[in-house]
Amino acid sequence: MLAAGLTLVLPCRAQPRVNEGSAILQTFGEAVTAYVKLRSTADSGLVPLRKGNKKGNILDHQRQLAERVRQSRADAKPGDIFTPVVAEEMRRLLGLAMQGGNAARVHASLRSAEPAPAALRINASFPEKLPMQSTPPTLLLNLPRLPPEIEYRLVGRTLVLRDSAANIVIDFMANALAARP
Amino acid sequence: MTKRFTGLTFSCVLAAWSLWSVSAQTAPPFAFPLQPDSVRFAIIGDSGTGDAAQSDVAKQMVLQRAVLPFNFVLMLGDNIYGGHSAADLKKKFADPYQRLMTDQVKFYASLGNHDNQDERFYEPFNMGGKRYYSFRKGNAEFFALDSNYMDPAQLDWIRQQLSGSTARWKICYFHHPFYSAARYHGPDQDLRQRLEPLLQQYSVDVVFSGHEHVYERIKPQHGIYYFVLGNSGELRFHDLKPSPETEKGFDTDRCFAMFEIAGDRLYFEAISRQGVIVDSAVIEKH
Repeated sequence: MLAAGLTLVLPCRAQPRVNEGSAILQTFGEAVTAYVKLRSTADSGLVPLRKGNKKGNILDHQRQLAERVRQSRADAKPGDIFTPVVAEEMRRLLGLAMQGGNAARVHASLRSAEPAPAALRINASFPEKLPMQSTPPTLLLNLPRLPPEIEYRLVGRTLVLRDSAANIVIDFMANALAARP
Repeated sequence: MTKRFTGLTFSCVLAAWSLWSVSAQTAPPFAFPLQPDSVRFAIIGDSGTGDAAQSDVAKQMVLQRAVLPFNFVLMLGDNIYGGHSAADLKKKFADPYQRLMTDQVKFYASLGNHDNQDERFYEPFNMGGKRYYSFRKGNAEFFALDSNYMDPAQLDWIRQQLSGSTARWKICYFHHPFYSAARYHGPDQDLRQRLEPLLQQYSVDVVFSGHEHVYERIKPQHGIYYFVLGNSGELRFHDLKPSPETEKGFDTDRCFAMFEIAGDRLYFEAISRQGVIVDSAVIEKH
């Protein structure tokens, strides 16, 4: 009885309690949640952008929010959210999404999306006058879901985490996508 | 469900016109039925330049309301190029379309890759603060999508909306085209791969897109009629290449198009800024 009980409790080989990728993505999710909380605090007190904006001053809120977020995370640096292990997992997920016929289709989609080079800096705004390259749905289907305030964007082969309402770069990771074959 | 063209103008027009780079040739007169309960609308795409050509198209839209008094306009994205200050929105939207808005014509925008997402809060765009949304007019339901960012949440949303729609006509519009013979960008194949099966499954009738700065009507694909209209402000002259998928193309001037849904028929004309009818036909539902 005792031996059998011990066999159940102590497997012959140590195994992770959860899938390793899931644990990494949980870490990523927690970092994203922490950002959303910070951002929510930054947003409090600002006059909300309402849907009935007649005058067209739609950028006022965006700029004010961006400034507050910058102040709140002035010490943020690349890799804070896309830590090395998270970045490795993201590359793996994107690699899975690009298997088989997907790669050519996704690359064609990226080319048709009017790619424009942009210098990326943490907390900096996406250039207002540059077109925003669309993110292929096949990639989005394979990446962890994000809260509505945050989105994935690609600039070349770099994956960017962008605050959509503040229009700022939260974090980015280079060489997220494999080079075109 | 199948649809067919009744061929009001096809036989005589198609033979005479080049399928691409169509220049100023006038199609035969086209009579909109102007039924009392019909749905009447126009489409513009890639319009927000703020230059004279955009204004010319806007003026032509005002003139053409004498032919078809459309009461709303679908915007296919790139509604505002460049800066997005209040002065920009005035110059690139409010001023050119002032007369239409004074005449109570409503605009329903979708977002392009040059747009700022916060355009969704700009009241004249009637987006209700949303990147994607739907609205009903008579027997037609319109679904405005954000093709810049087709994430799983949006795919879930459109599936839910289409499956619950009781409208006779289902019309989707978004910026990036599934099909196009334009040289500059080409079709968004990945978007098509993910979205078109849904549109097929739920019997969407018509899809409007912009992005390419030309006018194209694509031959029906999987029972869906596709239009690309991205030359209501911008223009990429002679950008269309020959393609077996193209039913009609126009790439030598700006244009817009206007539509009337009367019962099971959809009548349309695409009109250049000079007032030339560059395409017209009827789509019939069965």
